[in-house]
Amino acid sequence: MIPDWEDARADETVGRGEIRLTDVSVGYDNGTILDRMTLEVERGEFLCVEGPSGAGKTTLLRLLYGSLPPRSGTAVVDGVDLVQLRPRHVSRFRRRLGCVFQSYELLPHLTARENVLLPLQLAQMAIDVPEERASDALEAVGLSDKAHSLPAQLSGGQQQRVAIARAIAHEPAILLADEPTGNLDPVATAEVMKAFEVFHEQGGTVIMATHDEALRDNYARRVIRIDPRAA
Amino acid sequence: MELWPLRYLGTLWSYSWRWQKRRLSTWVVTAAVLGVVLSVAAAVQLVVWLGERSLAGQLQSASEMQVFLDDGATPDQQAALRTRLAAVPGVSRVDYRSKAQAAARAARDPQLAPLAGASQGNPFPASFVLQMQNPGVAPHVLRSVAGDPALDPKIPASYTAAQAQSLNSALGAMKFVAGALDAVALGVGAVVALALLRAEVRARRDELRILTLVGVPRAVIRVPLLFQVLSLAVTGSALAVASLLYIGRHVIPAIDASLPFLRLGDPSPAFATLSVATLAASCLALIPCALLVRLPR
Repeated sequence: MIPDWEDARADETVGRGEIRLTDVSVGYDNGTILDRMTLEVERGEFLCVEGPSGAGKTTLLRLLYGSLPPRSGTAVVDGVDLVQLRPRHVSRFRRRLGCVFQSYELLPHLTARENVLLPLQLAQMAIDVPEERASDALEAVGLSDKAHSLPAQLSGGQQQRVAIARAIAHEPAILLADEPTGNLDPVATAEVMKAFEVFHEQGGTVIMATHDEALRDNYARRVIRIDPRAA
Repeated sequence: MELWPLRYLGTLWSYSWRWQKRRLSTWVVTAAVLGVVLSVAAAVQLVVWLGERSLAGQLQSASEMQVFLDDGATPDQQAALRTRLAAVPGVSRVDYRSKAQAAARAARDPQLAPLAGASQGNPFPASFVLQMQNPGVAPHVLRSVAGDPALDPKIPASYTAAQAQSLNSALGAMKFVAGALDAVALGVGAVVALALLRAEVRARRDELRILTLVGVPRAVIRVPLLFQVLSLAVTGSALAVASLLYIGRHVIPAIDASLPFLRLGDPSPAFATLSVATLAASCLALIPCALLVRLPR
C-alpha cells in the first residue's frame, strides 16, 4: 500500500529545516547522475554545492524539491520522506520550500508584487493576509519601491530579488537556489546575496548550487563538492 | 478567517479571468465556431422534434383500424368477432359502424364521394372500428381474426402490417439520424475546444511551469482551463439558442406558409427543453477537454 501524505511527512527524526540523504541515487532515463550520495544538513546552515557542469548540482536540487524521485536510498527533506512522497503531494511539499532559479522564472505580465502574491494566493489557501506577506517579502529584499514594476522594467539583480521574495514569502524553512547569480554582474550579485543572508540570519537553511568561487568563499559556511559520478 | 474559501474562489475567478482576457481574440473566434456548430445541432433537433410531432399525429390517425364485415354475417357472428377483437392485446376500443354510417362518411370524403354517387345501393360494408395503442398491433389483430366467418373475405381490414412498420421505421430512422448529427456536432465542438485549450497551454507553457515549480497544485492550474471551457459552452449555447429562436419564429412559420402540407406547427413548446439540452450537452462535451488536456511537468 502506498502511504499517504501524512505518512510521507511523518519522519520525526528529521526536523524542520533539516535534510538527510542516505545512499541516495538519482538519475534520468539515460543513466544515474548521483550515485549513493549521503548528505546531512542541519537547520540554519548555509551550504554551497560546487562542481563542474554536468556533475549533478541541479540534479541534487531537483531531488530536494521533489522534481526527481530517488531511485534508491532514503531522502528526508524538512521532515518529508521523498521516497514515500506521492506525485499528487509534490506541490504541497514544494510549498514547504523556497526555490530560486538562475533564469528568475518570473511571470512577465505580472508586477513584482503580483509575482510574489499570485503563488501565495493560488497555493496558500488558508493564509489570512497574503497581501501583507507579499509586501513584507519585497521589503525584506529591499524592493518595496519596485512593487508595481513589471519584470522588464527591473534589472537582473532586482528580478532575482523578486524571485527570492516569492520564494520566502510563505516563510519556508529551506531555500534552494540553483546558480542564482549566474546571469548577474558583481554589483547585482552582492544585492542578491544580501537577500540570502537576511533569510539565513533569520534561521533559514540555504542550499545553493554555484560554480562561482568568490561566492563560495564569501558566503558559504559549508561547501560540498560534487564530481561526475563520484558523489 | 471563515471567509477565506470565498476569498480564494474570488482569487481563482480573478486569475481565470485575467488568463482569458490576455487571449480574448482567440477565445472569441473559438466561441463563434462553437456557436455555429451548436446552432446546427440545435436546429437539427428542432426539425426532428417538429417532424416527430407531425409523425405522432399521423401515427395517432393510423392507430385507427377498420375490420370489415361480410354483408351476410349474422348478429351472433358479429358479436363473437367483436369479443375476439376486444381481447387482442393493444386494442383499446371497438366500435360498430353500420353500412349507412359508412356510406354517409364516404359521401363526405372527397376521394370516395364519386364512388358513393355512382353506385346503386350501398357498396360500403359495415365494420368494427378499432382504436389501437400503436399501428404495430395491426398484425396481431389480423392474425387473431383470420378466417372468421363474419369477416369480409375479399377485404378483411383497412390496414396492413407493412404500413404500420414503415411508419415506425421512419420515426426510428429520423431519431437515429438526428442523434448521429448531434453526436457529430458535439464531437466537432469538443475538438474545437480541445484545440483552443492545447494552444493556450502551449502559449502559456512557461507560466504553467513556473506555477508548478512554486508549488501551485495542478488542480488549481487547471481551473482557468475549466473556466475557459465553461465560458465557451455558455457562450456557444447562447448563440445556438438565439439561432433556435430565430429559426422558430421566422423560418418555420415561413416554411409552414409556403408548404402547408408539412404541418410543422408552432415550435415554441420545444424552445426551453432544447436550450437546456444544448447547454448541458455542450458542458458535458467540453468539460472533459479541460480535465484531459496535458499540462507541462
